[in-house]
Amino acid sequence: MRRVIRPLDMDQWKEKRQQKNTKPVDIAIDLKDYALEKDIGKNEQNYRTIFRKCSDVVIRPFKLGTNCEVKALLVYVDGLIDKSLVNNFLMRSVMLLMGGKEHLMIRENSFDLLKDCVINIGEVSVEDTIEKAIDKILVGECIFMVDGHREVLSVSVRGWEARGISEPDTEAVVRGPREGFTETLRFNTAMLRRKIKSPDLKIEIKTKGKYTKTDIAVCYISALSNQGVIHEVFKRIDRIDIDGILESSYIEELIEDEPWSPFPQIEYTERPDVVAANLMEGRVAIMVDGTPFVLIVPTIFAQFLQSSEDYYQRFYLSSLFRMGRFLALNIALLLPSIYVAATTFHQEMIPTSLLVSIANQREGVPFPALLEALVMEFTFELLREAGIRLPKPIGQAVSIVGALVIGDAAVAAGLVSPAMVIVVAITAIASFSLPAFNMAITLRILRFPITFLAGMLGFYGIILALLAILIHLTSLRSFGVPYLAPVAPFRLDELRDVLLRVPWWRMDYRPESMEPRDKRRQGERQKPSPENRNGKGDGGNA
Amino acid sequence: MQKFRKNTVTIIFLLIVMLGITGCWNRRELDTLAFVSGLGIDKAREPGKLQLTAQIIKPGEIKAPEAGGGGMGGSKPYWNISQIGNTVFSTVRAMTLKSNRKLFFPHNEVIIFSQDIAREGVRKYIDFLIRDPEFRRLAWIVVAKDKASEVLETKTELAKLPARNIAELIKARSATSEVSAVNMQEFLTRLMSKTTAPIASLIEVSAKEKTAQLTGTAVFKDDKLVGFLNKTETRGLLWVINEIKSGIITVSCPDGKGKASLEIIQASSKIKPEIKDNDIHITVEVKAEGHLGSQMCLEDLTQIPAWNSLEKRQSEAIRSEVLAALKKARQLNADIFGFGEAVHKKYSRLWKDIEDQWDEFFPNIEVTVKVESKLRRSGLTVKPPRPE
Repeated sequence: MRRVIRPLDMDQWKEKRQQKNTKPVDIAIDLKDYALEKDIGKNEQNYRTIFRKCSDVVIRPFKLGTNCEVKALLVYVDGLIDKSLVNNFLMRSVMLLMGGKEHLMIRENSFDLLKDCVINIGEVSVEDTIEKAIDKILVGECIFMVDGHREVLSVSVRGWEARGISEPDTEAVVRGPREGFTETLRFNTAMLRRKIKSPDLKIEIKTKGKYTKTDIAVCYISALSNQGVIHEVFKRIDRIDIDGILESSYIEELIEDEPWSPFPQIEYTERPDVVAANLMEGRVAIMVDGTPFVLIVPTIFAQFLQSSEDYYQRFYLSSLFRMGRFLALNIALLLPSIYVAATTFHQEMIPTSLLVSIANQREGVPFPALLEALVMEFTFELLREAGIRLPKPIGQAVSIVGALVIGDAAVAAGLVSPAMVIVVAITAIASFSLPAFNMAITLRILRFPITFLAGMLGFYGIILALLAILIHLTSLRSFGVPYLAPVAPFRLDELRDVLLRVPWWRMDYRPESMEPRDKRRQGERQKPSPENRNGKGDGGNA
Repeated sequence: MQKFRKNTVTIIFLLIVMLGITGCWNRRELDTLAFVSGLGIDKAREPGKLQLTAQIIKPGEIKAPEAGGGGMGGSKPYWNISQIGNTVFSTVRAMTLKSNRKLFFPHNEVIIFSQDIAREGVRKYIDFLIRDPEFRRLAWIVVAKDKASEVLETKTELAKLPARNIAELIKARSATSEVSAVNMQEFLTRLMSKTTAPIASLIEVSAKEKTAQLTGTAVFKDDKLVGFLNKTETRGLLWVINEIKSGIITVSCPDGKGKASLEIIQASSKIKPEIKDNDIHITVEVKAEGHLGSQMCLEDLTQIPAWNSLEKRQSEAIRSEVLAALKKARQLNADIFGFGEAVHKKYSRLWKDIEDQWDEFFPNIEVTVKVESKLRRSGLTVKPPRPE
């Protein structure tokens, strides 16, 4: 006989659920209930309560000196500290060596004696609250306590497994430094300091994130950066109140000027040379612990069309590439929509033989050009996304499927016209040729509505969309700097580093848009010429 | 918030208004259009009616068959569709009864009038062609010696479409400058001038080979065809109206033992009207430069006396061409050169009195032709290939 289970009504269900949840759970710890004590036993008890069920925290009571008179306590997180440092220079020196000062040691003076005369480790600090002590433990320092003394000694013995410095995958260059930032903030600031050896390079740390307690380093050159911008950066970072920051994009979205805009308003990079160059133009860099991507503010639109390598290659080449990228930007944004508009609205604008050729290819294609374009673009985006997410060995399979299915089979089956495949391919190449991935994504997103408008209204729709984008772009600001500077507002002098890249000996001034404190970048008459080389200076044709 | 809502309403309103004021546009997929590449206008057998022939490109067949399959036995890459009607517009619309795709005219390259319809006057047909937004004013105006529909059926060897072939023949005229090339805009300008006579390219279909070839110029008086210029006369006309691009002038060698061909490389002309003692006098100044392109005599033409004589002969040849054209124009009493407009420009006050009697003035105007021509180079060699 089957037992009938009758469904509970709502009240009964709630009651039952509540009963389930009344199991004893850990009550959240409030650090305010605890304080540093003189008695080491109490302290140990406190730490054991606070770090209950934290298997990685090591709490080690021991006695000082070879005569074992004074009790002491060591707390650290296993994995965040360098064990050999702790063993050789901390434990060893306080338990065995004592530097011959063992006879001076009594319970009252042990703390100062250890701090000043015994512990042979560089970075040591004294903390007087339990919150600070706990913080120190969690960032990888070793807390050292002595019986009878309320304050604690925080010894810096940090050391953990970290990824080594490698070439950044997303910003590869042919010529230029091959080092990239890592996930460890301290390595990153060191890399930057190695590029800019000046006390003017300031690296200020803020800690954000209730649980992650992520260090955020704001870097700038105090002699160059505009005070207003620095002030604004700190103001915006200070108002962040979030439980965790795992990547610099968190910060980016929390400090942007126009949060709804599809356009990225803050540039990121994982190259120390890029950060250094930007700092020397008077910008401010924001480094976040745990990610190699560093934010740079203020950012202008033109920066997304520039690559660090522009400055390392011959200027002719760089200038050509910059103009080429500008063309690529337009192609990536507009080519499918122009194709759709021209073939469905403005057939008179296509040269006759080209038109006949396109018409020939489109004979028998069952979809309207608009649908064809949208489907092909969407398929391409899917392929691209699949290629990124799949593990590398399988990733190749995707490209084979893509090439065969889209490039060949779909055309052979008469589902799409070869002309459309070419259009999609050129668009894809153009969008890949942009150095900034975030800008390329924006263009991809905007491409769909523009194509749709082109299919509904023709060139008129494209112009409407472009106008809307232009109006939006001109209204954007990044930390007070107009997004389209130096084109709008127009500054002729700065254009030499936008569409062109003039040789270094002509780049006498920093970009005016950033309002740097020191405008001149270099001395006069830097152009090499026989007169200059002989040291005569004045004979040049400057 | 309220401000935001107000802005949004304004923007949406503006967008809707912008959509409404765009003028005419329409969404047409490529496979719903029939691209017309040439248009022929003939007289229909029924009196008072016209026959329109449109050459439609078949996109599917214009490409060579792939991978050699099938060979050349396929059908023609074009389809000539004919329809009889009362007006051009109604006939064009009536064609949709025969064609499943809508006729699309912006890619139309030539408009061909048959001789008989041109003799009756073309204004009534041109009207539709300039009123309708789909026609380009860059289409060439051509007069067929016989029927226009025949021209659109001619055999072509290199070009795929007869209409395209004709357009390319007209574009290639600059090699000889013996055929005039007139597009609809230029034709209109002349048609709307009170004195200047419209001209058009003249095309003939050879009886044997059924190929089209350009043979000269058709001359209109007002909108009616009145006569033709042959190739020499056409070049004479083009010298005066500054349309010479290139061309070959053949003269006899100074020693009289053969011929030399001179290639025109640069030419310009000016029409200078003058009114003296109630007489209109016109001076045509032609400046030309040429190369020695080939010689069939043995003389060394680069010697200064021979060279000078050659230059003289060149000027004389040009002069005679201009005079031939002038003679023919006087005969037809058609001011193909635009002398009237030149007088109008210079003597705008007197013009009102002259205007109405221009037809009487024109045949008797005194015209002086001044030719100044130079020979510049002699090609890669100096002397003809002969033993020294």
